[in-house]
Amino acid sequence: MTKGHHPSSATRRPDRAALFIAAVLAAIAGLIFWDVSRLTGAAGYSQVGPTTVPYAIACCLLGLAVWTAIEAFRGDFPERERQEVAPVIWIVGGLAAQMLLLNIAGFSIATGILFALTARGFGKRKLWFSLPLGIVLCFAVWVIFAKLLQLSLPAGPLERLFF
Amino acid sequence: MATFEFLMQGLLVAAQPMNLLYALIGVTLGTAVGVLPGIGPALTVALLLPVTYRLDPGGSLIMFAGIYYGGMYGGSTTSILLNTPGESASIVTALEGNKMARAGRGGPALATAAIGSFVAGLIATLGLAFIAPYIVKLALVFGPREYFALMVLAFVTVSSAFGDSTLRGLTSLFIGLALSVVGIDQLTGQARLSFGVPELLDGIEVTTLAVAMFAIGETLYIAAQGDKGPDKVEAVRGSVWMSAADWARSWKAWLRGTFIGFPIGAMPAGGAEIGTFLSYAAEKRLTKHPEEFGNGAIEGVAGPEAANNASAAGTLVPLLTLGLPTTATAAIMLAGFQQYGLQPGPLLFATNPQLVWGLIASLLIANFMLLVLNLPLIGLWVKLLTVPKPWLYAGILLFATLGTIGANPSVYELGMLLAFGLLGYAMRIFGYPIAPVVVGLILGPLAEQQLRRALAISQGDYSVLFTSPIAAVLLLIAAAALIVPLILRARGRGEVLSQLAANED
Amino acid sequence: MKHIFLATILAGAMSLPAVAADYTIIAPANPGGGWDQTARSLQTVMQQEGISGNVQVQNVPGAGGTIGLAQFASQQKGNPNALIVGGYVMVGAILTNKSPVTLKDVTPIARLTGEYEAVVVPASSEIKTMGDLVEALKKDPGAVSWAGGSAGGTDHIAVGLIAKAAGVDPTKINYIAYSGGGEALAAILGSQVTAGVSGYGEFESQVKAGTLRLIAVSSAERIAGVDAPTLKESGLDVVVENWRMVAAAPGLSDEQKAAVSADIEKLAKSAGWQEVLKTKGWQDSYLAGDAFNTQLDKDVAATEGVLKDIGLVK
Repeated sequence: MTKGHHPSSATRRPDRAALFIAAVLAAIAGLIFWDVSRLTGAAGYSQVGPTTVPYAIACCLLGLAVWTAIEAFRGDFPERERQEVAPVIWIVGGLAAQMLLLNIAGFSIATGILFALTARGFGKRKLWFSLPLGIVLCFAVWVIFAKLLQLSLPAGPLERLFF
Repeated sequence: MATFEFLMQGLLVAAQPMNLLYALIGVTLGTAVGVLPGIGPALTVALLLPVTYRLDPGGSLIMFAGIYYGGMYGGSTTSILLNTPGESASIVTALEGNKMARAGRGGPALATAAIGSFVAGLIATLGLAFIAPYIVKLALVFGPREYFALMVLAFVTVSSAFGDSTLRGLTSLFIGLALSVVGIDQLTGQARLSFGVPELLDGIEVTTLAVAMFAIGETLYIAAQGDKGPDKVEAVRGSVWMSAADWARSWKAWLRGTFIGFPIGAMPAGGAEIGTFLSYAAEKRLTKHPEEFGNGAIEGVAGPEAANNASAAGTLVPLLTLGLPTTATAAIMLAGFQQYGLQPGPLLFATNPQLVWGLIASLLIANFMLLVLNLPLIGLWVKLLTVPKPWLYAGILLFATLGTIGANPSVYELGMLLAFGLLGYAMRIFGYPIAPVVVGLILGPLAEQQLRRALAISQGDYSVLFTSPIAAVLLLIAAAALIVPLILRARGRGEVLSQLAANED
Repeated sequence: MKHIFLATILAGAMSLPAVAADYTIIAPANPGGGWDQTARSLQTVMQQEGISGNVQVQNVPGAGGTIGLAQFASQQKGNPNALIVGGYVMVGAILTNKSPVTLKDVTPIARLTGEYEAVVVPASSEIKTMGDLVEALKKDPGAVSWAGGSAGGTDHIAVGLIAKAAGVDPTKINYIAYSGGGEALAAILGSQVTAGVSGYGEFESQVKAGTLRLIAVSSAERIAGVDAPTLKESGLDVVVENWRMVAAAPGLSDEQKAAVSADIEKLAKSAGWQEVLKTKGWQDSYLAGDAFNTQLDKDVAATEGVLKDIGLVK
């Protein structure tokens, strides 16, 4: 990770990403205000009710949003390394596929796909090799944890074939 | 006092070859399941408890102790090697431990964790045996206001995990606090920030958040570096074992961690995580190598790991002396004890000495077995880092999701894993520290509830927060920890502070 | 890693015979809680007594069991091999969480265990009887702090009922909710609160050791072996039982329902189950069929009334 604390210089353009972060923080604060305002503030005997602490957190988040915005204008945010987007998409795709397929295809197939797509994200292009490898590996894991150690992992067609 | 005799008798029974084998099997099983990210000791013990029923009472008790210690220890291995905490109490371990592993010092990190766990387990188990009745009296003095003061102190210490920017550290902490509000408010039963989604009513699971932010966020970040990232981690640089300097730096941290973790574990609302936070902060303040913190300081592994294990033994204090299960793990243990005819409670030590001392002896043996199993395995574990990156990270995601699915097989939980993984990735890009988010999620609800309980009991009188001596002392320490460095820094005398810290040692 | 897995397989193979799956029991709570323990006890006894070859327990925690209930009702529809554990707490949680899925959406089979609530004070307390406590409550409801389980749970309901029976406004009670029995017990032992309300089992060993004073139990009749008056004897017309039950999936045919009921009856009558009840200190409150359904309807109606009185349900 890069070091922070660059000497601030007025010539730099405001850091757009940092401004975006400030906006997100303010939005979270707004969300808390909006949601909590609907609660009945039944504080009972404590005076500090269910709404007090969320309001305090939201106020602090607003303050942090302002602070972030100031640093964004002063260019105090650290340099960022360039990010490759493709690997991230492969891995996120793998996680999403696992999530959607888990209850339909069972643990081994869904997680095997995650395995192969993650390896793809790291540069292993041969899906015809990594996919079966992942599924076999996950099936072995499923047998150990679901059958021997009684962990409840969803079974699919592949698991039902054997058990 | 026949205390010592009972203990020796228990040890003799526990040291029979067959029982030693059971202990070894228990430790192995416990480690194997506990090592999964997201599966903490509670679920490990719950899953494996039935396995012990098939043995005779002595053997099953000892295997049970092994599973417990194995499950406790398992989490730190993945924390150190893969930056993927197995459970919330080993989050702090990841901070320094993983940095050590990346620098080729995974061996010493694992060793100091294992030996520290052993030392802490040994001292704390002996503490359980000999001073439990006194510790428990102290624990009961802690009411809501004292806990609130303890939480304030814990919050102050979080700043030691902030990294190099106060703004980004605070932002991380408050994101965690905002997340901690999600769910049913415990004191009034009202839903906050749940937006009508039933899955959000119980709030955000700490382990899900931790696994997502650490394991998935890290994987995404490494993947996004493409080819320019570090090609390969050097698995071993120097010796796999701890050097003389490592020993010299570790032993004090082990002892300090033990003395912080044990009493906090014994407190009904303490929890293992808080001990690890306090221990990490203490080590950072007291170290002679402040420059190494954040880059792999061995004290930062040794202290929290010892605190973690000591608080595990501390949990047994209220459990055995009061019959009070203070954690989910303890509740399952209580169920386990009942199988052996052990009815924890104030009369247990008087009415059932054989079983109690048998249990304590089993814990000692299991603790020892943990060391026997894990020290030789360190060489093997470290080799894990030599697995080529694609397969290593594919495997990490496999086990991270396995843990989450095993704990709660729901699509929502996986969705949260993905969402928080992306958040963790984004935070890494912008240099936000990860640990304060998790810390905020853990401490936020505790602090809020204790404050509100204290005020409800006093019917809204704020002065009670300061009038108890223990609370006042804790708040003073917190204030000092916050203000003194500020004053010193303001005067430009940072070096005085580090000297002071060095002298205290 | 390989070595550990190998050892795991060996140890697992030694202790767990692989048999075809039969019942799956959903415990709608985290490991360690009462429902989880009930589910795992059912698992053990069903396998032990040969009622079912292999029983799996699955934890679906969340929101007082309503998440597990909702998932069970939708995913297991028509599956005669799926069971869910539940209880009185679920009745309250369905109401407070405005759960769209209720106990009407599953097939309740039988009530299995029950536990009565107990009212305790620290041994050092000046309060000696339930009468003293009621007097203090009438004088200043805010000055009497009650420690118990989560808001809207059985303990909270019991305190609301006590206040109502004593003629005190139930919205004025100073109830301090704790997450688990253990934390509440510590608060009572440390004299942080005036009184505590929870299942009798939580307090039993402390009462026997004399560190807590038991001033009333919530049963209709005195409990054998427990030296305390009922709330009724103390002039408060309150009976609360925290029961646990087992339910089957919705959409079962009458034969399927009868088969499940027969299995559960066999379980409840078995020596193994009686042994479990004894070691865990659970009361046997087996009740099945129409009698159970009638009781269930009555409980739901009564609970809704109390929760409205306390102000937790609008």
